[in-house]
Amino acid sequence: MGRLNRIVLFDRLIARPLRLEPLRTLLTALAVALGVAVVLAIELAGNAAAGSFRSSVETLTGDADFEITATGGVPAQTVASLAALPYALRIRPRIEDYASVAGDGRTIPFIGVDMLADALPSSTTDTSSFQRDDSVWIGDGLGYKAGDRLSLAINDTQSEFVVRGVLGARTGEVAVVDLAPATRLLGRNGSLDRILVQVPSGRSLDEWETVLRNALPPGVTVARQGSRTNENRRMLAAFRWNLRVLSYIALIVGAFLIYNTLSVSVVRRRAEIGILRALGATRGQVMAAFLGEAACFGLIGGVIGLALGRGLAEGAVKLVAATVDSLYVSSSPAPISLGWGLVALTMLAGVGVAVLSALSPAWEASRVTPVEAMSRGRREHEVSLHRFRSLGMAAVLALGAGLAARQGPIGGRPVFGCIAAILLIGCCTLAIPALVAMLSSAAGLARLCGVEALLASRSLAGSLRRTSVLVGALATAIAMTAAVGIMVGSFRQTVILWMSDGLQADLYLRPAMATGADRHPTMSPEIIQRLQSLPEVADVDPFRAYEISYEGLSATLGAGDARIAGRYGRRPLLSGAPTSTATDQLLAGDNAIVSEPFANKHHVKKGDVLKLSLSGRQAQFKVVDVYFDYSSERGYIILDRSTLLKYLPDPAPSNMAVYLKPGIGVDEGKRIVENAVSGRKVLVFANRTLREDAIKIFDRTFAITYALEGVAVFVAIMGVAGALLALVIDRRREFGLLRFLGGATGQLRRIILFEAGMLGLLANLAGMVLGVLLSLLLIYVINKQSFGWTIQFHWPVAMLLGALTLVYVATVLAGLYPARVATRLNPIEVIHEE
Amino acid sequence: MESILQIQDVSKEYLTDGASVEALRHVSAQFSRGEFVALVGRSGCGKSTLLNLAGAMDFPTSGTVTLEGVKTSALNDSSLTKLRREKVGFIFQSFQLLPTLSVIENVELPLMLGGGRAPRQAAMERLAWVQMEDFAARMPYQLSGGQMQRVAIARALVNSPALLLADEPTGNLDTTTGDLILQLLRHIANERRTTVLMATHSLEAAGITDTIVRLRDGQVV
Repeated sequence: MGRLNRIVLFDRLIARPLRLEPLRTLLTALAVALGVAVVLAIELAGNAAAGSFRSSVETLTGDADFEITATGGVPAQTVASLAALPYALRIRPRIEDYASVAGDGRTIPFIGVDMLADALPSSTTDTSSFQRDDSVWIGDGLGYKAGDRLSLAINDTQSEFVVRGVLGARTGEVAVVDLAPATRLLGRNGSLDRILVQVPSGRSLDEWETVLRNALPPGVTVARQGSRTNENRRMLAAFRWNLRVLSYIALIVGAFLIYNTLSVSVVRRRAEIGILRALGATRGQVMAAFLGEAACFGLIGGVIGLALGRGLAEGAVKLVAATVDSLYVSSSPAPISLGWGLVALTMLAGVGVAVLSALSPAWEASRVTPVEAMSRGRREHEVSLHRFRSLGMAAVLALGAGLAARQGPIGGRPVFGCIAAILLIGCCTLAIPALVAMLSSAAGLARLCGVEALLASRSLAGSLRRTSVLVGALATAIAMTAAVGIMVGSFRQTVILWMSDGLQADLYLRPAMATGADRHPTMSPEIIQRLQSLPEVADVDPFRAYEISYEGLSATLGAGDARIAGRYGRRPLLSGAPTSTATDQLLAGDNAIVSEPFANKHHVKKGDVLKLSLSGRQAQFKVVDVYFDYSSERGYIILDRSTLLKYLPDPAPSNMAVYLKPGIGVDEGKRIVENAVSGRKVLVFANRTLREDAIKIFDRTFAITYALEGVAVFVAIMGVAGALLALVIDRRREFGLLRFLGGATGQLRRIILFEAGMLGLLANLAGMVLGVLLSLLLIYVINKQSFGWTIQFHWPVAMLLGALTLVYVATVLAGLYPARVATRLNPIEVIHEE
Repeated sequence: MESILQIQDVSKEYLTDGASVEALRHVSAQFSRGEFVALVGRSGCGKSTLLNLAGAMDFPTSGTVTLEGVKTSALNDSSLTKLRREKVGFIFQSFQLLPTLSVIENVELPLMLGGGRAPRQAAMERLAWVQMEDFAARMPYQLSGGQMQRVAIARALVNSPALLLADEPTGNLDTTTGDLILQLLRHIANERRTTVLMATHSLEAAGITDTIVRLRDGQVV
């Protein structure tokens, strides 16, 4: 057959029916489009959020080969040691912290550099202003110009600056000062955060690394530049992987709907296929035609999805960046970049998913023989008979899911957990025909609800295959929503309980500038004494946090007063031992407790020894227990304050817990403490406020999860609307007949709405069962392996009931338009069509 | 003889591609209770249109159709539906059984649509009339063409209609089976006093009826 003939035939037999039912075609293509759009949006947002770790200043000053760092700071004399080496090294010391812009509260990197050596491009060359404490150079993203005044909160102090110059184009939001003022403003006492080293050519980087390491004092580490960025990317990998998996759900639901559309298409055109085969069409041609139809859906969906995904990415990047910022690492999102590679991948995903989902119906179409183009009734009867075989296969998949759930992670990723989830979804899909068939046996019940319910239930059971696919699609979306809802609800409740155990102090203090998972601004140590001297205060527990790298992954080293923690705290331990056992051991010397995420990530357990380089000294800490912690996924190592000060003698606390004496009210105590710290940029929170804020952050973190689930459910409901419309078109003669037999238009409407309602009910039922099973997987396998958190199972009853009701109502509403179409059919025309 | 259906000067026009096509032109006829009538003529002569007008499925462009004293053009949609439920039964060439319902469920469907009580008993009785009571639990695809048409007749009779409209009821059947169906319709007209209006191509089929109405180009000839 010539190529032109093929195109003409494809147009006549496949494309024309699609054009004749534009609404249904559009709904199916939109289902793919939304799936593709969500995947693309998450990919773009993830790229943007993870692509901005490198400071714009690094970009400006050119690449370095190595970075030298140490927990608690690199001693300043290290610069001299490196400069003394007999090589032409380019050495650039750095002090790096954060500051908050007064007025709008933006948190921006605050970087101290050697202004002369780094030679930053800016609109000023006035070198005399470098050493002044009020001089600042800013990135072009801040919106200030040379000569403007800028007020920045640095730790607990407000400082006023004059903008001396604006750095080059696309330097973003950053404030840069010379090293000397930075040291003074940040109270660094001669320590640096990082030294960038550029080496001359002639030796390999491995050799240079050895040279540098030998020149460094103990506890100071050298690493290739970019390793920090890579570390951050590695840290984010699990988060992004989980987000990606969630984004695929909408695509999977879209695939279900393509499968449904094509299955319906094959059933409807069975006689047509028979005629074509009789006229000489080969099986391959029939199969290719239906795959072509799917590819059309994929292509249209892919194009719409590209535009939609790019738009969605704008919103998604804010949500993803907020989560990254509060849970992982400070990062301002990079611009969204949609490259050709991603465009090609997106189109491939759209067309690929559509064609893959169409394989089975297309294969079925190719098997139709001219003599075997039989009635729907017999065909569906065969499907009905196969439902027991499907149940057997479902049992096998369930067994497989159980086995997969017991396997460990691969490379820190819950690969088997996800396989178990897919197997469970497959299991549910295979079990659905049996569930739908139960409708037939419940015909007596349907009769009680009237003839409309009987006809609706029979129609669904009669179209077992089509109904099963539809219910499967909707159930999958509902299940994922329910599962994520249960997981997040359980997590939320676990965090609330954990906070009520762990947060026992009446008041909490921290610097006014924004904190983050890797930002620990400090307060002046004299505040501790000031508060301790207040007669209303019983105890003050200063806590200091440091950003460290442990085994190539970021973590937090922290220390509080173990005596006070032992006295008040009820920090639940994995061992089940009382908190005082651990705090006593912390007080006894170089001992540590670690958070559960840290223990899981680094495979650390009670009794292990942690080796840390702290400000030029090698230290070893014995892990005396693991504690439950939900505040950071990075993981904590906690020491007693006295132990930490032994290695890192900076007494400035990152935050403080204040315990009031009995009889002192929280409001009164807060007022007294606020008076005591007046003049400092310090925030005082009551216990309740802190918990409420924590829950707000929690809810914000999971907002994107809900958004993704919402899209999946929307796709499924749209699929139901499309399928019901197809059903009306497919059964128009039946509806016409009902009119001949005395059926009123209202009865036709009720039949469609009953069918929509039953689809919703079945999907809710199947979705809930599957959802609970998936939530167990999420809580005990996938989340545990990805993030290392133990979550107690809780039923978020209100949320589940609300979501299920919403889905049910939306499904019924999805039947309104098809019902309208059904009532407008001309019975005479449709009954005499054949 | 008591007249059950009067058709007076009925014309029916359809719009096809913007052009008006006259399916019936000034047709007048009246039919008595228990009369078996054949409407004969070539395809497109207006047989089905006349059946649809008689069965209150459509309105004439001009003229009146009166069924058991009720003028159909004076009724709204819900009243027409009620009239159809109570007074009219339909039989089609291609049987038109619902594939998802069993035989008995198909038969009791009109009663259920009308909200009738105890539809099962009446349905079984009608199945017995057409000698299909032993097939009550079967599904339509398990029946032969003749059996399906007998079930369709039972369904059309379940409301005890005054008027039974049959559009080419033997068109999809072999001659022997077709004859059996015609005998059944004859029996219904005689014994149940139901007026049967049958559209057919076949003059042989028409031979069994009391009255033959010939239609050509929308007119009675």
